[in-house]
Amino acid sequence: MLAIISTNLTRRAARTVLTASGIAVGVATIVALLSFTQGLRETAAGLVHLGGSDLGVFQANVADPTASILPEAMVGRLAAQPQIARATPLLLLVEAVRGDPSAIVFGADPRGFFTASLVLTAGRRAGATPGRIMVGERLAAKLKLRVGGSVTVKGRSYTVAGIYHSGIFFEDYGAVMDLAQAQTLSGHAGEETDVVVRLTEGTRAADAAKAIERAFSGVQVITDPQQALRAGANSTLISKAILVIVVIALIVGSISVANTMAMSIMERQGELGLLSTVGWSPTRIALLILGEGVAVSLLGAAAGLLVGVLGGRLLVSALGVSAYVSPSITAWGLGRGLLVGVAIGVLGGIYPAWRVTRMTPLRALAGT
Amino acid sequence: MNAPSGADVVVDDVSKSFGRIAALRGVSLRLKPGEAVAMAGRSGSGKSTLLALIGGLERPDTGRVLIDGQPIWAQPRPARARREVVGFVFQRHLLLGALSARANVEVPLIGAGAHRAARHERAMSLLEEVGLADRAEHLPSELSGGERQRVAVARALANEPRLLLADEPTGALDSVTSERVFDLLFRLRDRLGMTLFVVSYDRSVGDRADRAITLTDGQIDSEHPPAGR
Ligand SMILES: Nc1ncnc2c1ncn2[C@@H]1O[C@H](COP(=O)(O)OP(=O)(O)OP(=O)(O)O)[C@@H](O)[C@H]1O
Ligand SMILES: [Mg+2]
Repeated sequence: MLAIISTNLTRRAARTVLTASGIAVGVATIVALLSFTQGLRETAAGLVHLGGSDLGVFQANVADPTASILPEAMVGRLAAQPQIARATPLLLLVEAVRGDPSAIVFGADPRGFFTASLVLTAGRRAGATPGRIMVGERLAAKLKLRVGGSVTVKGRSYTVAGIYHSGIFFEDYGAVMDLAQAQTLSGHAGEETDVVVRLTEGTRAADAAKAIERAFSGVQVITDPQQALRAGANSTLISKAILVIVVIALIVGSISVANTMAMSIMERQGELGLLSTVGWSPTRIALLILGEGVAVSLLGAAAGLLVGVLGGRLLVSALGVSAYVSPSITAWGLGRGLLVGVAIGVLGGIYPAWRVTRMTPLRALAGT
Repeated sequence: MNAPSGADVVVDDVSKSFGRIAALRGVSLRLKPGEAVAMAGRSGSGKSTLLALIGGLERPDTGRVLIDGQPIWAQPRPARARREVVGFVFQRHLLLGALSARANVEVPLIGAGAHRAARHERAMSLLEEVGLADRAEHLPSELSGGERQRVAVARALANEPRLLLADEPTGALDSVTSERVFDLLFRLRDRLGMTLFVVSYDRSVGDRADRAITLTDGQIDSEHPPAGR
């Protein structure tokens, strides 16, 4: 049966390839977007545990967590909460570093646990000294910065006091300066982006999050990357886009498979009628047609997976977010692409398969 | 090969219309087990329709077709009856062009769910039976018209049918090649004992058969024993 399916497809290679490539486009788009969102998710994971914190408190209903603004007084009130061991404010400056707009500058309290968690690999801590900054090792490598060198942030030149390692991507690919200076620099005096929090021993992040959101209105607590993703409008948009594309791919793909198969059964009436005369049951003949549909879409899906993996990279560079996000391909991401491919084949094969069971073989066979 | 005994076919007052066209009008006919019957008749007289009804490809409007006393359409699965009882040969060989001669002969065996090794072996012995063992791996396009038709005969025999229905099996062949295909069909009947029902315009086929009938406008209008018997 498989041999018959494969020979039927190879015999009309051009048509098979055309149908399959239609499906490939759909599957590729899905895989690319999925790998992109997976990348975003991993990025979000990095944003959630800044400074080795358990959770982050942000302003609610913002387009993207970096756009959050909280009053400075939040810190003290948060620190007073029983579940919270330590809290420290952060002000995130994005697109601020000359030479690499994707690097983030963290304005942080020099005495807070965020700054304390940085391990210096060269130089000294910047402390609250004006005009001093610490640079993460990845950013330092990228911009070829040394201790004593200078880096421009929002048009102002800062001297590199030290180079640090933290193990968290955004920190290593960013820079840390005194919170007060960052506030002045960005015109956010008395404000912060978020407050990162370490919980007391034995407190569950989810419980603490609920308590905090109850105690303070207008804030959202982000404890896991999923949530960080949802907090960003971009990623919500992408998830919706994926859904739409899946639906479109299913509809367009299955119509194209159905069309190809319907054409092919009309041409092969004699052959299919013959299968019926040699005692193939209608079910088996229908399965043959369905199998052909699925085989075509599997071919398309396989090609689509390949293209999608490459496309994920393109998407990332096209959106200019390559430093924040690297596309991440997961088995489940590929699996979903493949599932869509199979679903297209099955959906597209059902109608022609049903048609075949309705065909009476007599005319086709007797044909003189 | 085990010799399957022939099927006993009773066509009982069968009529079949396609829209306003009455293809068969009250046809009754008996094919005794192992009998070879030839049918002639003008184009459009209903020959193919009668064959399709006997083989369970079409359902009669009225009347019954009994094979070994069983109405073929009363069975839950007519496909199964076709598979187990009936073999068809058509004017067009209808071989699957992408498959070798051997694979084509295996197609009915796939339908019957036979295992690969068994299929292979049976297909080879059938090709030997029709004298094409050495062409087993050739594609239909690499065979002559007569050879293709012999492959089609081998395919029809794959499930050891007790009834072989041939609809102008040599309609597309020249007379010498035709002769060889008919030789094959009658020889197989003699050896395997199946019931054979052949549609052919060819008078000589009527002569070789045990009985010849003529169909006119959907009715059997003459039944005559062949000359010299
Ligand atoms: N599926 C069908 N739909 C409509 N009309 C049909 C169908 N099958 C057969 N007919 C009609 O029934 C009549 C008998 O057809 P049939 O094919 O049985 O004739 P035949 O004797 O085999 O002719 P030929 O010698 O040309 O093969 C014809 O008029 C044909 O047009
Ligand atoms: Mg005919």
